[in-house]
Amino acid sequence: MTTRPWLAYREMFLGLVEREVRARYRGSFLGFLWSLLNPLLLMGIYSLVFSVFMRIQVPHYALMLFTGLLPWTWFSTSLANGTASITANANLIKKVYFPLEILPLVSVSTNWVNFLFSLPVLGLFLAWEGLGPGWAILGLPLLMALQFLLTLGVNLFLATLNAFYKDVEQLLGPVLMAWFYLTPVVYPLSMLPSDYAWLIHVNPMAPLVSAYQDLFLKGQWPGSPALALAALETIVIVLLGWLFFRRRKFIFAEVV
Amino acid sequence: MAVTATTDIGSVEVRGVWKEYALASQRPRTLKEAVVEALRGRLPERPRTWALQDVGFRIEPGESFGIIGTNGSGKSTLLKLLTGISKPTRGTVDVHGKVSALLELGAGFHPDFSGRENTFLNGAILGLSRKEVAERYDRIVAFAELADHIDQPVKTYSSGMYMRLAFSIAVHVEPEILIIDEVLAVGDAAFQKKCIERIRGFRREGRTIIFVSHSHGQVAELCSRAAWIDSGVLRAVGPCEDVLAQYEAHLAGTGV
Repeated sequence: MTTRPWLAYREMFLGLVEREVRARYRGSFLGFLWSLLNPLLLMGIYSLVFSVFMRIQVPHYALMLFTGLLPWTWFSTSLANGTASITANANLIKKVYFPLEILPLVSVSTNWVNFLFSLPVLGLFLAWEGLGPGWAILGLPLLMALQFLLTLGVNLFLATLNAFYKDVEQLLGPVLMAWFYLTPVVYPLSMLPSDYAWLIHVNPMAPLVSAYQDLFLKGQWPGSPALALAALETIVIVLLGWLFFRRRKFIFAEVV
Repeated sequence: MAVTATTDIGSVEVRGVWKEYALASQRPRTLKEAVVEALRGRLPERPRTWALQDVGFRIEPGESFGIIGTNGSGKSTLLKLLTGISKPTRGTVDVHGKVSALLELGAGFHPDFSGRENTFLNGAILGLSRKEVAERYDRIVAFAELADHIDQPVKTYSSGMYMRLAFSIAVHVEPEILIIDEVLAVGDAAFQKKCIERIRGFRREGRTIIFVSHSHGQVAELCSRAAWIDSGVLRAVGPCEDVLAQYEAHLAGTGV
């Protein structure tokens, strides 16, 4: 078969990421500022509910929220985009040959770029409160790499399933809502009752989000045993996801 | 010849290809149907329907090869196999060289982006690097006759302008194998003439051309050899006039 080597599709990949990043905010007055405003608005709402109404006593609660919301937004938006990535690009995959893995990869990458855009604002907030990661910032690429792979792995599963059963798209909203509350974003990991401590071992996002918070707020180098387990789970998920996707990708053009 | 025939750049070899139809009605489309099917146990063995049955032919480098057949004969299925979008159920398809198919017109075009931006993205999707698109850019715009509008968003284009740009990018990919799927009805008569000229130019440059059509005229004009497909079966392959004569006779209901 005439297949260009994977590297030859780099330009297509970069072109699609650029298109997605720019298309998202084209035509809106505030443009890319929305990738900041969204987590900020969420932070306001959750602060009001949990800090003011329910009186959760956690130091720097709003900052903890914001630090958790940024990676969570990257994760959940990637999954929402990625799940639909095959079906939404039906026109493309029926016409042109390319490694279809690019599509879920573009979803994760686009939202990663948005995540990066919002980091300077997080930095400002931290500086304002006199907090900061210090040298632990060097651990950030590790966390991002882990989250990137995890999100990609889950995306490969969801995109494949959604190509055959559009129900997945519908189911995703409630699933992400549950996943959000099972991940320590609006509460610190330490508040999780011990009966439920096992949750962090089956949900790789839990130690991951917690590690972001520890890194940014306490300057803690990522390295908890729970995070190591999450890394292991991530490798399994991404490998299985890729196999799952690969075995079915040549049918996509016929079913979407 | 020094090189073996099977590795010639620009050649296409289709051997004993069978392709099963993925009929939408035959596969479960929702989770509910899948669950019902799973509970009932395996469905009774369904009859297999074939879009292509034991199709085989070889196209030599530099040849202009026509594939004719009525609508629903299996031409489009064969085309998808040649471009690599789908895989044969049985048999092999060997395409040696870079393929560009003029069925990919406007793949990945984004309405909010300018003609210029879309040219670069579409070029990347069709396998060109940024540098290669930049080299061809002026020729692409000139060929499409869009110099005055290239920086406007393509959503402001008329359908004629849109197709002219898409066609122009596709013919400037300069592939070793060009697949044309009766899209020559692009733009006005003058532009069509230019397109035919461009395709003749490809032929003079020794590129392989595969022309897929249900109509006799352009195949006779452009091709030296042809294959006729009817209900997924290869009915004839050989010199263009002979194959076209048989096809015409069949359509007239007088022969075969």
